[in-house]
Amino acid sequence: MSVRLTEGAVEALFKGVEVNNPMLQLLSIRQIGAPSASPRFRLMMSDGQHSLSSVILATQLNYLIEQNLLVPNCVCLLKKIIINTLADGRHVVIVMDLEILQSAEETGGKIGNPTPCSADGKNSSPKKVSSSTSVSASPPSAAVPGTSYSSSNTAFSASGGRGRGFTGKAPVNASPMKASPMKASPMKASPMKASPMKASPMKASPMKASPMKTSPMKASPMKASPMKASPMKANSASPAKAMSIANLNPYQSKWTIRARVTNKSNIRTWSNSRGEGKLFSFEIVDESGEIKITAFNNEVDKFFSLVEQGKVYYISKATLKAANKQYTTLKHEYEMTLHANSSIVPCDDIQGVPTLNCDFVPIAELENRDKDAIIDLIGVCKSAEDVSRITTKSSREVSKRELSLIDTTGKVVTVTLWGDEAEKFDSSGQPVVAIKGARLSDFGGRSLSALFSSTVMVNPDIPEAFRLRAWYDKEGYALDSQSLTETRSSVSGSRMNWKMLSDVKSESMGHGEKADYFSCIATVVYIRKENCLYQACPSADCNKKVIDQQNGLYRCEKCNRDFPNFKYRLLLSANLADFGDNQWVTCFQETAEVLLGHSAEALGQLRDTDEDAFDEVFQKATFRTHIFKNRAKLETYNDECRVKVTVLEVLPVNHREYSRRLLSNIHKLAS
Amino acid sequence: MAGILDVPKPRINCSMLSQHINRAVCFVGRVEKVYPTGKTFSVSDGEGNNATVELNEPLEEELSGIVEVIGMVSNKGAIMATTYDVLREDKGTPFDLELYNEAVKLIHDFPQHYPFEVAASG
Repeated sequence: MSVRLTEGAVEALFKGVEVNNPMLQLLSIRQIGAPSASPRFRLMMSDGQHSLSSVILATQLNYLIEQNLLVPNCVCLLKKIIINTLADGRHVVIVMDLEILQSAEETGGKIGNPTPCSADGKNSSPKKVSSSTSVSASPPSAAVPGTSYSSSNTAFSASGGRGRGFTGKAPVNASPMKASPMKASPMKASPMKASPMKASPMKASPMKASPMKTSPMKASPMKASPMKASPMKANSASPAKAMSIANLNPYQSKWTIRARVTNKSNIRTWSNSRGEGKLFSFEIVDESGEIKITAFNNEVDKFFSLVEQGKVYYISKATLKAANKQYTTLKHEYEMTLHANSSIVPCDDIQGVPTLNCDFVPIAELENRDKDAIIDLIGVCKSAEDVSRITTKSSREVSKRELSLIDTTGKVVTVTLWGDEAEKFDSSGQPVVAIKGARLSDFGGRSLSALFSSTVMVNPDIPEAFRLRAWYDKEGYALDSQSLTETRSSVSGSRMNWKMLSDVKSESMGHGEKADYFSCIATVVYIRKENCLYQACPSADCNKKVIDQQNGLYRCEKCNRDFPNFKYRLLLSANLADFGDNQWVTCFQETAEVLLGHSAEALGQLRDTDEDAFDEVFQKATFRTHIFKNRAKLETYNDECRVKVTVLEVLPVNHREYSRRLLSNIHKLAS
Repeated sequence: MAGILDVPKPRINCSMLSQHINRAVCFVGRVEKVYPTGKTFSVSDGEGNNATVELNEPLEEELSGIVEVIGMVSNKGAIMATTYDVLREDKGTPFDLELYNEAVKLIHDFPQHYPFEVAASG
């Protein structure tokens, strides 16, 4: 059967007009590029009327030629093509997918008498070719190798653009192309960009799977480099096309991006077994996404002062590698490391580059987020504590400051700032504070902590800030809101393990290897008066019982000394009760004094002087209800195992909080 | 007066007024507005709804803050107070009216666990 060639197709393609599934005859094949690695084939195609020689075969279809399936005079259906426009206006057709409809033998010879299309030879009757649709979205033919290609194919039929097709080695592919006419006129990336590529988010992930760049594409980053060179030196015109951050991947070495610095960290030094060094990192954002950039050692010196948060820069020549999710909260697949050849140049043309990309969470919703989640928050700083200095576990002294932020949900949460940010913070005037990348913790219920990588902005220039300011000035300041972080008493918050006294037995608390800590609300029903006081060693920190030598001296075995005096210390044995059970507990000095309301010394005096008053102290302490924080542990004493409960802290009952807890328990039980 | 003190007086909020018409109740709410006669004032409950309280004698002094009113609910849904008591705001923990409202609702949701009627008579 003879096939009809799509007349007018060549002319249309020559003019850069997309043609849907044109049927063309292959007239000749020419190999171009360096003989090394993958060759590139240039085809001359005809539609019977005209012939077009600027047709390139995508490398994944090279096998068609190598296996002699595609030979001159055969008729093919171009199922998928991309048209690239060169800087001088000429067009090149890249064949991504084709089907051979009729072999050369069947066709016989050349169909028609096609004249070559050239710049001026456009006057043959322009046949209308249905070229309304862009590159056909036909699924890749079975010939296409590799799943990566097929997945990327669909991605780019939707997203068109940067012709991907190879599973091969992109950089190698690039070189032969470079040698070809492409080189003569560096490809402009713009038409590519203009095409559907822009339509869909260029999430480079499918692309990533197979490092792809067809030659013209590769040429564009090529182009970028000469372009890039100029702003570096000339500092005038911006590179025509900056790549989008979302497209960055390790397989492309020459690119330029234009983005704003959103989050710059301080310089951090480290010292471990492998050596030491310093680093700083920053995050950048452009219309397509965000990525993190880190600079080490020498680059720190070079770039730290240059890079300023909030400013826009052109960045190029950095190493891309897979992102280490541990250290970043961004969603980009990769992260960048600056090296000696990296360049960062301030950019004046900031149009289109977004400012901070923040995803603020309303405070009321914080309860629903997981602990340790990284979130962004914005709120009005209702109040702030003073800066305090804390010594950390690693014996470092750090400043810290706690702020209370409130937002339109009416809820308040405490945010902790550390180090310099804590010291610099100015809470006067109830500023709007926005934090990006703070960690949510369940300390005291829900609270936030600024990380090394967080950014704290005071009165930022974003719409949410203005809204908050307006809301706060109108109504927010008067709100007596409920704080998610109950910092006043360290009692509240999820650290409290509320139990009933009956749970001690039913849960066999204390039987495990470690002691069990729990809190409960209970009433004191009895306190043993006898042996509540003992004579202890007067030296500081030594509470050992001293032995009365009967000669006016008291001996402490631990200090191995005799003392003429002693200090009274309390050791109470009390019985607590709640609705379900009783429990004998031991209270040491501090908790005993709280329960009885008197110091050990005073009680010691009272016992010797006024016995009635002494009794009364105990009477008054009985039948009082408190919050007890306890420790239960199984102890062996002379072959006997008993669970001993010690009171660690006694606190007054917070009725409101207790009621709320009871209400929520009831609701839970009822549902 | 003696009569009402012997009878169980369930605690209610505004939404339960209609179910307790002609019965003795105990209502805790915040004083909103005192009428010029001094014999009537409005109170709001923890949910924000309002009710009217009518007294036998006019008030002698300004009333404000949270009050506990004991009385009968009239046909119109007003509370005919036999006695009232002002909760002091200057001492102790401030009264949380919303929390109280939750408790009142709970009592009515689970009458089997809160058998006040039985306790009062027995």
